[in-house]
Amino acid sequence: MKLQKISGLQRKFLLNIIGLLALALLLSSIGVWIYMSKNMSGVVLDKYEFLTEKMGIDLDRLYKKSEEVTANCITDKNIQKSLQTEELSEQEKSALSKYFAYIELDDVTEYCYVDNKQNVYTKSYSALPYEEFEKSKIKEKLQSNYAKTNWIFQEDDLFHSGKKTLFIGRNVHSMEYKHEPGILLFKMEEQYLKKIVQQEKETKDIIIGILDNNGQICMQFNPKKISLNVHDKERILALSKSKGKGIITDGERLQGGILQAYRQKESGFILYTLVPNDVLNNGTIQIILVLLGIYFVVILIALQISFYISKKFTKPILMISKEMEQFDGNDFSHTVHIETNTELDKIGNSYNEMLYNIKNLLQEVKKQEKELRTSELNMLMNQIKPHFLYNTLDTIYMLARINGEKTTMKMIQSLSTYLRLSLSKGNDIVTVADELENVRSYMEILQIRNRGLFEYEIDCQIKEKERWILKLILQPLVENAIKYGLSEIEEGGLIRIEVKEISSRLTFSVYNNGASIDPIVADKINALAEVPIVELKNVFPDKKHGYGVINIITRLRLKYGDEVKFYYELQKNGTKCIIQLPESGNDKDEI
Amino acid sequence: MRSKRKCLVIFSVIISLILGGCSGKKNIQNEKDQKEIKIPVILTIDPSTGKKNEEEVINAFNKRYKEKYYIDVKWVLQTEEEYRTNLKKLNVTDKLPAIIPGIRLLPSYYQLMIHDQRIEELSSYIKEDEEWRNIIEPSVLQACTEPNGSIFLAPLSTAFFSCSGVFWNERLFRQAGIEEFPKTWEEFWTCCEKLKNNGITPLALHTEGTAWAPMLFATAELADSQRGIEFLNTLYPESYQNENGFQLAHTLKRLFQYTTEDAMYNDFDVSYQNFVSGKVAMIPNGYWMIDQIPSSVVEDMRFAPFPGNKLISSPETFGWAIVSTYSEEVKKGAALFLKYRAMFNLQQKEKVLQMKPENNSRLLNDYMKAYTEKSQIIPNYQVKWNSVLQEETFGEYIPKLIKNQITEEEFVLKADRSIEQYEKER
Repeated sequence: MKLQKISGLQRKFLLNIIGLLALALLLSSIGVWIYMSKNMSGVVLDKYEFLTEKMGIDLDRLYKKSEEVTANCITDKNIQKSLQTEELSEQEKSALSKYFAYIELDDVTEYCYVDNKQNVYTKSYSALPYEEFEKSKIKEKLQSNYAKTNWIFQEDDLFHSGKKTLFIGRNVHSMEYKHEPGILLFKMEEQYLKKIVQQEKETKDIIIGILDNNGQICMQFNPKKISLNVHDKERILALSKSKGKGIITDGERLQGGILQAYRQKESGFILYTLVPNDVLNNGTIQIILVLLGIYFVVILIALQISFYISKKFTKPILMISKEMEQFDGNDFSHTVHIETNTELDKIGNSYNEMLYNIKNLLQEVKKQEKELRTSELNMLMNQIKPHFLYNTLDTIYMLARINGEKTTMKMIQSLSTYLRLSLSKGNDIVTVADELENVRSYMEILQIRNRGLFEYEIDCQIKEKERWILKLILQPLVENAIKYGLSEIEEGGLIRIEVKEISSRLTFSVYNNGASIDPIVADKINALAEVPIVELKNVFPDKKHGYGVINIITRLRLKYGDEVKFYYELQKNGTKCIIQLPESGNDKDEI
Repeated sequence: MRSKRKCLVIFSVIISLILGGCSGKKNIQNEKDQKEIKIPVILTIDPSTGKKNEEEVINAFNKRYKEKYYIDVKWVLQTEEEYRTNLKKLNVTDKLPAIIPGIRLLPSYYQLMIHDQRIEELSSYIKEDEEWRNIIEPSVLQACTEPNGSIFLAPLSTAFFSCSGVFWNERLFRQAGIEEFPKTWEEFWTCCEKLKNNGITPLALHTEGTAWAPMLFATAELADSQRGIEFLNTLYPESYQNENGFQLAHTLKRLFQYTTEDAMYNDFDVSYQNFVSGKVAMIPNGYWMIDQIPSSVVEDMRFAPFPGNKLISSPETFGWAIVSTYSEEVKKGAALFLKYRAMFNLQQKEKVLQMKPENNSRLLNDYMKAYTEKSQIIPNYQVKWNSVLQEETFGEYIPKLIKNQITEEEFVLKADRSIEQYEKER
């Protein structure tokens, strides 16, 4: 899938999905990393803590075993006898020398027992004069306690191997009498301590060592040759200064890894393990890699699914978009057909409806433009004439005056006023006073033409010069009232015009006391409020009836919106037409 | 801008939740430091009765000092001899408990422990503690004090409970037509003869475990004369080749004529079983055996001083020592326990003395009568004679003496050899 081929909306959707997924996966990766690094290292540490403790317990066992074996030696009848005043016989001495070769302690490479009479008992080939034993530092070290089993790690100055070696030594006191103690000493092979590590399986990745109570490393097992920095080495050696028994250091963070240590209580020897950082993090890294692999697959699947889902929704949008792009304003046949059972179907239908309305509006606009051009042409033609027409009317007026024809004078005056107000210098909005003056001139002309047919009354309850209204609204109503309302009478007609403000709405009414309007026609007119503007002209298709009303309603709704009210009321004696604007008419506002 | 801020806030909240969720801390429970100080002691379960020795005072102390001190007893089913041998091994292997009971019954071991500074000098504890000092009877304190004034044994408060006499079976005596315990040694031997003639074994004796039961009879008999008493008062006699030695050998030989066949090469537990099972009429022992006698036979049992109205008592044998190698706080707790033991002992004495005779067992009334009617207290040979004699010579040569494999003269000669050996080793 190439992003270039994907639409903008879909691309944005996919980019957001990728972003959201990436964020979710990033956050979960961070969480998993933190959790795993804590818990995995915890699991690893638990494993090695268990191993450390297990090896520590093995160290305990070694010590206990050495203690038990030496205790058996100490309480042995012949050894006790060797401490008594009387010397052992040569036979007894020989037997005693051999006795130690059969003790149940592994890895004894040399032994010596020195009684309190300077007799030294060793292996037959290990000739060890008492003087050399006397010089040895081991004797001094054993003198510090009564009969404890001592583990001493020091240079072998007794059997002259020159190597640092583990000695197990113990003072041998008489059970019965106050005698000088003898000294029992076993020199141990290196294997003795190493087998603690060798019998374990999980040791190849870590460093394991044993320190004596003076901070000397008696044994270190480091199969991977991991090098430690000076600081870590110092810390390990300093373990010998710490106190306690059993696990004395549990999960101490060093630069090179995590340190754990177990102190063997009686000997003071410390078994330590250092778990390197890479061992700690190995499990976590593996899990994170697997996790990232899973995330990658999840992203791919999510993208694929997102692509198909987004395509399903963007396809109709693209279709609409394409149709809209291709719409040139003339061809209204490019409707869309969407069936997704979603809101997109409504959008498609609305688009089609909108297209239909635009088509109608366009036709209406074209028609109105045509009418407007015709009207403008007529106006242009008429604009040439007004001065000539006014001058001519003035001349006629003067002639009528000279001849004393008052009726003619009045008629000419009214016609002049009517024409002036009708033209209004091209403005559509006029004051209520001008509108009333216009309709008044009109009615006076008609009074002269139809002598005695009707009287008229104008009741204006507002300040007529401070209120504004669309011009030529009342004249067609008065014209209809005279034409249809008073058509069947010869005299006694009444036209009453009322102007007032009801609930902040400027309200006009034109009443005639003639024949009532046909209720069917009245209902039809009253229902025009629900008819769209573009449909109004189709309500009276014959154009012989209702043209004036439709014209007024159209103009009013174009100016004041659908809130404007226009309706007829059938009176007991006559008909009343009411116009109620949605405003008070205080503002002069052009269309 | 607003939506960006919203995103930032949501992002921060998610991060916080993740980090918060990941920061699950282990509940590290801070355990209270174990402040109770444990004081290790090894005590025996009597192999004859199965009763735990000194259990009552141990429990009382542990209850009184709960959460502060705890006498941590390792109960061992051992004979006295096994226990003593074990004590010696524990010393040379540096495994001694904090308190050693009955150390004075091993004279050379006791001296060894003092010499090697293995037991604590207690005079600073006792003499500086007026309350403790005042509850110890002067004679008892004197017995526990070394010639140089130092004290290594924390004694019981009183000698009341430390006397040994003879437990006798009244029912068996009556079967032999004997109504009361013999007052003199002549009567004693006659009594033994009568019992024997009536098919009743008179004496429960043993040769193992230092043969202390026959030795109690023999030394009590020795104390029937002033000469003998002086001999018994001598610490580490220089020789047994004298009238006292010969009398001792003779008495031993005579005593074993009236005992069971299994007395040879067996320890006290066999003798005790013979006695409580009604097979044997007499056995020597101290106050502490009163509570051990089974209730089924206790009505038959009586207690009497040795013939000649003698009770054997050395209060120092009940002295307990504190091992020096323990920490100061353990030693302090051990000293507190030993003081508590002395007080407990005093309360026991007062309680026993306040009890009406009709409410007591006949055994206890017999013991109180023997103690209060001013029987002559003679020292226990076990604290006076050398350990080689007690622990080696008696065990080896008494059976030979009884079997006539050696003469009485040879026996005392062996006793003198023990002195030589002891002196040599000392």
